[in-house]
Amino acid sequence: MEVLLFKIALVLTFTIFFIPKKWKHLFILGLQVLTIYASSSLAIRVLSSHSTLALPFDLDTWSGPMLLVIDELSAFFILVINLICFVGLIYAGGYLKPYLSKKRSVFISLHLFSFLWLHASMILVTSFRDGIAFLLAWELMSLFSFILVIFDADKETVLKTGINYLLQMHLGFALIMLGFIVTGIQTGEMSFDALQLYFSKFNNLPLFLLFFAGFGIKAGFIPVHTWLPRAHPAAPSHVSGIMSGVMIKMGIYGIFRVITYLQTDLLQIGLMVLFFSLLSGILGVLMAIMQHDLKKLLAYHSIENIGIIGMGLAMGIIGKATGDSFLSILGFGGALLHTLNHALFKSMLFFAAGNIFHATHQINMDHLGGLAKGMRWTSMIFLIGALAISGLPPFNGFISEFFIYKGTLNHITTSDFTFSIIGISTILGLVLIGGLCVFCFTKAFGLTFLGSRRSVKTQEAKEVPPIMLLPMILLIVAILFIGFFPGKAGQLILDILQGTSLAVNNDQLPSIISDFSNIGFVNIILVLTLGGLFVLRAWQQKRVTIAHGPTWGCGYTAGDHRHQYTPTSYADSLQQLADPLLLFKKDFKKFEPLEIFPPPRTFHTTSKDLIEEKTILSWVHSIVTTLPKLGFAQTGRINHYLIYPLLFIIILGLLTYLNVI
Amino acid sequence: MIPILLIILASTFFPGIITRIKAIHTGRKGPGIFQPWIDIFRLLRKGSVYSTSSSYVFQIGAVIYAATIFVAALFIPFEEKGTLFSFQGDFVVFAYLLGLGRFFLIISALDVSSGFEGMGANREALYSLLIEPSFFILMGSLAMFTGHGSFHDIFEALHYGSYFSIIIGIIAGFVFANITLIETSRSPIDDPLTHLELTMVHEVIVLDHSGFDLGLIKLANNIKFVLFSTLSANCMIPQSISLGWRMLMFIVLQICFAAGIGYFETYRARNKMAMNPQYILSINAVSVILIFVVIIIKNNL
Repeated sequence: MEVLLFKIALVLTFTIFFIPKKWKHLFILGLQVLTIYASSSLAIRVLSSHSTLALPFDLDTWSGPMLLVIDELSAFFILVINLICFVGLIYAGGYLKPYLSKKRSVFISLHLFSFLWLHASMILVTSFRDGIAFLLAWELMSLFSFILVIFDADKETVLKTGINYLLQMHLGFALIMLGFIVTGIQTGEMSFDALQLYFSKFNNLPLFLLFFAGFGIKAGFIPVHTWLPRAHPAAPSHVSGIMSGVMIKMGIYGIFRVITYLQTDLLQIGLMVLFFSLLSGILGVLMAIMQHDLKKLLAYHSIENIGIIGMGLAMGIIGKATGDSFLSILGFGGALLHTLNHALFKSMLFFAAGNIFHATHQINMDHLGGLAKGMRWTSMIFLIGALAISGLPPFNGFISEFFIYKGTLNHITTSDFTFSIIGISTILGLVLIGGLCVFCFTKAFGLTFLGSRRSVKTQEAKEVPPIMLLPMILLIVAILFIGFFPGKAGQLILDILQGTSLAVNNDQLPSIISDFSNIGFVNIILVLTLGGLFVLRAWQQKRVTIAHGPTWGCGYTAGDHRHQYTPTSYADSLQQLADPLLLFKKDFKKFEPLEIFPPPRTFHTTSKDLIEEKTILSWVHSIVTTLPKLGFAQTGRINHYLIYPLLFIIILGLLTYLNVI
Repeated sequence: MIPILLIILASTFFPGIITRIKAIHTGRKGPGIFQPWIDIFRLLRKGSVYSTSSSYVFQIGAVIYAATIFVAALFIPFEEKGTLFSFQGDFVVFAYLLGLGRFFLIISALDVSSGFEGMGANREALYSLLIEPSFFILMGSLAMFTGHGSFHDIFEALHYGSYFSIIIGIIAGFVFANITLIETSRSPIDDPLTHLELTMVHEVIVLDHSGFDLGLIKLANNIKFVLFSTLSANCMIPQSISLGWRMLMFIVLQICFAAGIGYFETYRARNKMAMNPQYILSINAVSVILIFVVIIIKNNL
């Protein structure tokens, strides 16, 4: 029944091309609700009955009929996808409005069509276990997200970015396919379930590495992250929101799925995942601090958060390897909860960035500032998102990080010193990321919304229509729920883990839950204290005179907005410390000692991605510069071209004669 | 209740003792020991001036900063029965609560669009980011040494038995004392008693706060100071002696600490601003030594 409904909704999407422009959005929204109803009811059925659901999809690939297999893990991901995509599509209604008059009808149709198909393909990705069907859904997801990214294809850069994205996705696709092919050759079946057999017979590390690389490209682990900071700023905000919120999580889903089948080599795998996660986490946030473009900053934060999720996974695997079930439950639980949390706050932050773009047509922080006065609601939404992503209580980001802290802490108090060192470095990584995140988001929020405007445009910024604000309320409710009832959220996550093979024993679960409830209690005390102080302050302010005046300039009265900190100057102190890890260039002319009347000067900064430059672009560059040198052979004369095969035959003959080949 | 009472008591006298010591050693008559508190109460009753370029963030920033520190105070252990909040990993919550307050202090400084406060905000963000790892390394290695994961259990187990815990206690106390100085921007990081515009971290961040908000921030700063110095003292006070003795020791240690800061700030100039990151990183290095000490001791025992 639900499967049929799902398919009907998908078939009906084709009619969008014949619907008047005005009604297209509403039409797709209606179909999306159908899809969400169908998939969520299946997911909820799975979660409430703690059983795996297998339904025929009534379509055949050449490896047999497609089968939807929904277990707790899939159900969890389906619910996350549904929530974020639903919010994203409502938001798109407001965001696309200015484009309705500019763009041709067919482009709008194609965009909305792809949106729903992306949503549906992600649901399918989480429910297919068979290799062919999975790869098919995976490919659909990449294709439709590509169409969504190049919405602004009139700009050449956007198209170029889109093609870059498509290529990188197919690299990942090839790696995953290779993984399935290896499994297929060795076990006779290309599916996730066949991994069970494969991993029990062969070395686990190489095949895991293959899958990790393939899924890692989608998830955005450093060093295969380079598509992320390009594609997210190029895409429209509702698309960046769902791409960063849920689509990159499909990579995490894939890794998670493969981990459930792992049997040996656990320690090496865990350490490897930990290494790449720490790299992604720390470099991701450092790169984020250097950005001027708000959306690019958020894109780098996605990499950082993927790093945190990866740390959770690594702790889970190491816990399994060392037989510490407490660590493994909390590690996997933290990774899973952070997946949800990141989906909530990151999509919200991208939508808020979309609001800024909608209101000011500007996303460069150098030109923004003082938006909190005109766009009060957007600024509050962004602030909540910023606090949540920095992992600060009482919001949800803290809860998932605390999962990992708690597991690791328990681990270092009980294990020997090698593992203690691993644990301490994980804690240290999380702390550094947390601190850098606070640095980055005080910058992002403070310089965008606070202070005074840095350019003429931003003063006129008006609040966006309610349709671009209301969907975020749903996300805020979820964020606050997890923040204030961490016991309930933790229970839910641990229930989901029980359904996979990852959580082994559960006699310690009640103590974990009670500790999480304690955090909820702390948060409530915090809110009460805040409330008390605010009441006191309001009472005090009523009785005294309140004056308004210019900012205290320490005696200097001609201060203006140009004296404020800029993104570059705010990041400068950190940039000097972290210089070896960044490719940050300042381009300016120094003052000469005897320069009495200095002419006007310019100051320009560029920030490049160190990993991208060193691991990818340097190779590409050397190939691009050496290959043209072979051009001398291409003379354009047919007699030369006839000589080449002759030479080839002679060389072959010689080599055979000399017994080389 | 005892830890909270002690914290309030200590925070009442702490700033006064420092200013008294400094006044005596610089040959001034100086204000009385209660002057900092008189200042705070005067500020709490005063009217406020708000910058025209500030927004709602400036209005809520100070209150949230103070609230986080008040709540963080509930985590500090002293007596056997534990505190209001005591669970495995409570020090993580403690540090992140302080982080929340800091976030709001920083953004309310950025809200007034002044270059001075931007500078203060930036430095506050940078220094706290650099010192945070050493707090966690310290707590992590204490957790490793004692086999427990909460403030209360760690400090209780630290003084059971071996003499080795004295070495660890001393190193930990030293690092905690330095964290205190850095978190509250005292000398050698910054000298709070120079003229406002020259005090480049903690005081410059609140240049535009006035009245009730400023009073709250000052109050919260005093309490924050005592929070960290209490942790430092906890590393040194053995838990096996009776409560009365411990309270006496606590008070003596607090007075010594305050006096020490007074002497230090009188006779030593603050660091050059550009040198501060190196200084903070060296504290991190000391706390890394603690990990190795713990590993060596644990493997020999």
